[in-house]
Amino acid sequence: MRILVVEDERKAAEYLQKGLSESGYQVEVALDGLDARHLIEEERFDLVILDVMLPGIDGWQLIKLIRRHGDTPVLFLTARDSVEDRVKGLELGADDYLVKPFSYAELLARVRSLLRRSPLREVEHYRLEDLEVDLLRRHVSRNGQRITLTNKEFALLQLLISHPGEVMSRSRIASVVWNINFESDTNVVDVAIRRLRAKLDDPFQLKLVHTVRGMGYKLDSVA
Amino acid sequence: MKQFKRSLSMRLALAFALISMLSLGIIGVYLYRSLQQEIAWRDDQALLGRLERMQLLLKNTPDIQALLERPELYANMLGNTQHFLWVLDTQGKPLLSINPAALPLPELQASSQPTFHQDPAVPYRLVAQRISLHDKQLVLIAGHLLTERQNMLASYRNTLIIALSLGGLVTFLLGSFISQRGLRPLRQLAAQAGAIDSGQLHRRLHADSDYLELSLLESSLNQTLARLDEGYQQLARFSADLAHEMRTPLNNLMGQTQQVLSRSRTTADYEQLLESNLEEFERLARMIDSLLFLARSEQPERSLALQPTDLNKLVEDLCEYFEGMAQERDLQLVNQCSGTLSAEPDMLTRALANLIANAIRHADPGSQILIASAEQDNQHIVSVSNQGAQIKPPHLSRLFERFYRADPSRSQPGHSGGLGLAIVQAIMRLHSGSAQVFNEEQGVRFELRFPQTLQMTDM
Repeated sequence: MRILVVEDERKAAEYLQKGLSESGYQVEVALDGLDARHLIEEERFDLVILDVMLPGIDGWQLIKLIRRHGDTPVLFLTARDSVEDRVKGLELGADDYLVKPFSYAELLARVRSLLRRSPLREVEHYRLEDLEVDLLRRHVSRNGQRITLTNKEFALLQLLISHPGEVMSRSRIASVVWNINFESDTNVVDVAIRRLRAKLDDPFQLKLVHTVRGMGYKLDSVA
Repeated sequence: MKQFKRSLSMRLALAFALISMLSLGIIGVYLYRSLQQEIAWRDDQALLGRLERMQLLLKNTPDIQALLERPELYANMLGNTQHFLWVLDTQGKPLLSINPAALPLPELQASSQPTFHQDPAVPYRLVAQRISLHDKQLVLIAGHLLTERQNMLASYRNTLIIALSLGGLVTFLLGSFISQRGLRPLRQLAAQAGAIDSGQLHRRLHADSDYLELSLLESSLNQTLARLDEGYQQLARFSADLAHEMRTPLNNLMGQTQQVLSRSRTTADYEQLLESNLEEFERLARMIDSLLFLARSEQPERSLALQPTDLNKLVEDLCEYFEGMAQERDLQLVNQCSGTLSAEPDMLTRALANLIANAIRHADPGSQILIASAEQDNQHIVSVSNQGAQIKPPHLSRLFERFYRADPSRSQPGHSGGLGLAIVQAIMRLHSGSAQVFNEEQGVRFELRFPQTLQMTDM
């Protein structure tokens, strides 16, 4: 999977390149609009991550250019979260956007979902090691042992297990599980994870819920 | 003309001049008319008198023929060339004609009473009378030319017009002088107001005059200045607070990073540093996020997508969200809300979430936090009350200010950074409502008040 990162701020471009490479992607970086245009015209990418505030040719023009060359998904980054900017980007054909400062976990999640060619399969039954989750019957068990969860605990587990190995940021968890869509400085998510762990992990040797420091939580067989 | 329009004193002077010319004109026309009437009346009386004297003369003279043959006598009696006199017999033949202006003999119907005649074609006025004298019927006609009278009236008219214009000019000059003098305090006010810039908003205007209009202007301008001053000071204080609030996390970041880098350490130490840094960064990001929210909420064009919101459901969701946090402190969240509120659900959620988080932080362990709704004075009230320490009165009114903390030393990373309640207030302002805080017997109650007009009629 090849990703083009168009970002004029060197430090940001650098960490995006490092991070995405570590996640197994091939990353090209363009530090200005002209470079980006050249790369877009000469090479093929599976995804373009685009900062819209660029010297030379700005991001909006690049989105139009990319659209003329095909249907490569575009994730645009903006420091201004005005509604007009978002609407403009999406109207020009971008697929998703992130407002700076964004969490790295969030970026990874968006990249993954944009690169997932086929739509998510409707899964009714998940299995991870000895954990079994039946979404229809809302039945959770480990090692054949039934675990009773509250509604919200179940929603939290469902979010984690439907993205195994992926880090879920606190804001994403709050948004999906409780429909809380603003940055909150409370430790609600941490408390909820602690409670889920008490039921899901504490009685068992193998821990499945892992804290990724500074980023969020993930469900995985290994830390 | 444009300049006159722009100068108030010039306009006033012009208005004065117009008014004085109008009133002088009316008086002039009135005087002219009454003079005209008076002269006409006196002239008519003179004509009648002449007729009478002629009649007497004729009556008392035995030999009329002799009298009639000496017209110079009457000519002397008449005095000048403006006057004329005819004595006609029954056939209309003139027996006597004193006619220095050589006027044609008018054709008149004379009766036994004196009758006045005026001919529009010839500028004269006549009086005619038929008399019988010594068995003879005679017609007497006396008259005079109007030219002299018209000349006199014309010159009187001219004098009046000149007086009128002079009067207008004098009022204009006096008026402009007086209005310029009268408006001088206004110019002073303008000069004083012009001298106030952003650094001198504490200064107030003072006009050297006790005129009602000017003191009204002065006091309303001063009120405006006071409001500006307050806003400006709040802004200045806010900037200072902002700098301070940003300096604290930056100071932590720089200090701990430098301390860790001062010698070589284990990976675990570095990880711990980065994690701690991240916490501070997130705090900064949240602060910027909140400030942007506040700034945007003050933009006048910001409008809400109001929709009927089930209050009980919204609070129930929030209670679920905070359940874990509350239980950790052995607190119980009690939802006593009902009804439908017209609000933007995300905004209302955010406001209530801030209040509930605040209540959880300050509640006595083991107590209840009550979220309730009520109607009072045409307002819908949503309240969040917790048991715990009261807020000292001096803090109460300032609690909703940005960065204001009742306890200045309290700045643990988990806390809202002093913007949570400011956001609550901003959200309530957007809803045309208000946020208030009260001390209760055993704790603190926050109230969100929504105006009734916002409510939907169909619940």
